[in-house]
Amino acid sequence: MAFTDNIDNTFAALEKDVLTPEREAALASFKALGVPSGRHEEWKYTNIKTKLPEALRLVDGQQSTVNEKTAFNSFENIEGTKLVFVNGSYAPALSAIAAQDGVVAGSLHEQRSQHADLIAKYFNKATDTTSENFAALNTAFAQDGAFIYIKRNVKAAQPVFIIHLYDAAAVDVFTQSRNLIIAEEGAEINIVEDFQNAAGEKFYNHLAEIFVAANAEVNYVTLQLDNKHTTSVNTIDARVAQDARYHITTLTFEGKLVRNNVNAYMDGNGALATLNGLYLGTENNHIDSHILVDHRVPHCDSNQVYKGVLDGESTGVFNGKIFVRKDAQKTNAFQSSKAILLSDEASVNSKPQLEIYADDVKCSHGAAIGQINKNELFYLLARGIDEATARGILTYAYGSSIIADLPLEALGEHLYDRLKERLNITF
Amino acid sequence: MLHIKNLHARVGDKEILKGLTLDINPGEVHAIMGPNGTGKSTLASIIAGKTDYEVTAGEILFHGKNILEMSADERAREGIFLAFQYPVEIPGVSTTNFMKAALNAKRKHQGLEPITAKDFLKLMNEKRQLVELDKSYLSRSINEGFSGGEKKRNEIFQMAMLEPLFSVMDETDSGLDIDALRIVAEGVNKLRNKDNAFLVITHYQRLLNYIVPDFVHVMYDGRIVKTGDKNLALRMEEKGYDWIKEEVGA
Repeated sequence: MAFTDNIDNTFAALEKDVLTPEREAALASFKALGVPSGRHEEWKYTNIKTKLPEALRLVDGQQSTVNEKTAFNSFENIEGTKLVFVNGSYAPALSAIAAQDGVVAGSLHEQRSQHADLIAKYFNKATDTTSENFAALNTAFAQDGAFIYIKRNVKAAQPVFIIHLYDAAAVDVFTQSRNLIIAEEGAEINIVEDFQNAAGEKFYNHLAEIFVAANAEVNYVTLQLDNKHTTSVNTIDARVAQDARYHITTLTFEGKLVRNNVNAYMDGNGALATLNGLYLGTENNHIDSHILVDHRVPHCDSNQVYKGVLDGESTGVFNGKIFVRKDAQKTNAFQSSKAILLSDEASVNSKPQLEIYADDVKCSHGAAIGQINKNELFYLLARGIDEATARGILTYAYGSSIIADLPLEALGEHLYDRLKERLNITF
Repeated sequence: MLHIKNLHARVGDKEILKGLTLDINPGEVHAIMGPNGTGKSTLASIIAGKTDYEVTAGEILFHGKNILEMSADERAREGIFLAFQYPVEIPGVSTTNFMKAALNAKRKHQGLEPITAKDFLKLMNEKRQLVELDKSYLSRSINEGFSGGEKKRNEIFQMAMLEPLFSVMDETDSGLDIDALRIVAEGVNKLRNKDNAFLVITHYQRLLNYIVPDFVHVMYDGRIVKTGDKNLALRMEEKGYDWIKEEVGA
């Protein structure tokens, strides 16, 4: 595999900084782990090894050609900081920082010196580079991404948008990008991360580390809406401290190959995590949601609701693991995974896993795979709505509940519109 | 307007309609009564285009077109409406959005532009008052958490919105208390005109006190076995169905 050839030389050419020792360890780990094949238990349904082309490189070194603020168009009606990254690198000219007291939002690369202590304290502490292949690769090579730091008890009034653009300069590049989000005690923030790829075939391996301190609340939304030609691994690792609230919602409207690793580590008593997702596959899309909630301490709650809609010859994977450790008594953990298949060729692999080592817990999970309800469909047809539109409306009805729970009203409106557009319906 | 000729239909191996013939003209209200399991709701479903049934013989002409060759949505756009016996709950789609999609589908069929937001709101407000449906119901998900009476009022509201030429009401009176029955019936009466027609399917004569039919048909074993005026319904109520069974030699 091309990008793994000469990996040491590629690494040696990178700029040295405070994180270099961490990166060296991660590189060693990745070299041992390699790119997972279909024989790897956690990659059984997603054979990424065959989907990464020979010509792929890890570093581009090309200048981006994006020079207009088109990236904002999706969110122009929503106030907030817009951090724009092109092919993984911060683009200050395209970004707009809405100054907020107690909130630092910028480029991880640029903030390395000013917040060296914080970065040294948190970088790579939420993620598992010893067994996660792509987390190790990312840690070794990612140079930039968003750095967001919310100080103690600051309730950020405006959201922060992290907008990733890809352009033709990054052809045959396996872009590595990395976020570090730190919410101190009692802090609150909404973050929206959007991956927009209008540039043809693209590959990226992105990782976000999120630290939610005691009593803090982070609401994180990942959008993969313009994603038709994207092959991606996106890992979101969160550590949730005592009485903290963490909400992560992932919306994937298409994708050539999408692997989302969403990991929440419940570190403090009374913590809450909600992990929701809506994924829509079409044509030959492959969309894999790989979820882990690790209950390490007592009295934590977690809720997962994932919904899939698979059309064409697309495949979906839901792999949701709830791990309740011996000490994690009084855990409440809930998981629901549903999918509807719109065509005979579409398929989904659903694998809920509960591993429970404590004896006083409430855990439940349910998985359902079905089709559009015939009675509901007939009801719409009987009012004169054509079948394709009726199916779109029913799919919208099914999927929109995931959007309904999002925190920002303007964002919700935007996403409802995007969902309608995706399903080719208007009303 | 609607001509059903010698209609035979079955589900699986079970023959349900066994040669049903019925002619309905503009301005008329027809009622069909009959015991359970005699094929009344099957007839309603077949007219509306539900595909669970196999029509083995006969035809249904609507304005001269054979509707058995049309899909359910085409029939609706042509002006056929079914008021469901059991209206479906659809969480996640508001009645407003549903009606906007349905109305615009019909307008498109007629070669008209989509209705403007302003006109649509005005129309909704006007029509919901026909069945005393509170405004708040329209922004709620279709029929979700509605009482039986509210669901039936919503059916008549939809009928009012879409202004069909021919409406089948499939046991609209079932599960309604007397007040809801009156509201539903008054709504229908306000929609009656010389150009449209109704087929009212019911078990009970009660509804026909409010929606007075021009013709009453008694259906038994997949066929219409007796036709009369509104007094036939009164006789049915009084004497039950047994005499019909005897009369047709069942």
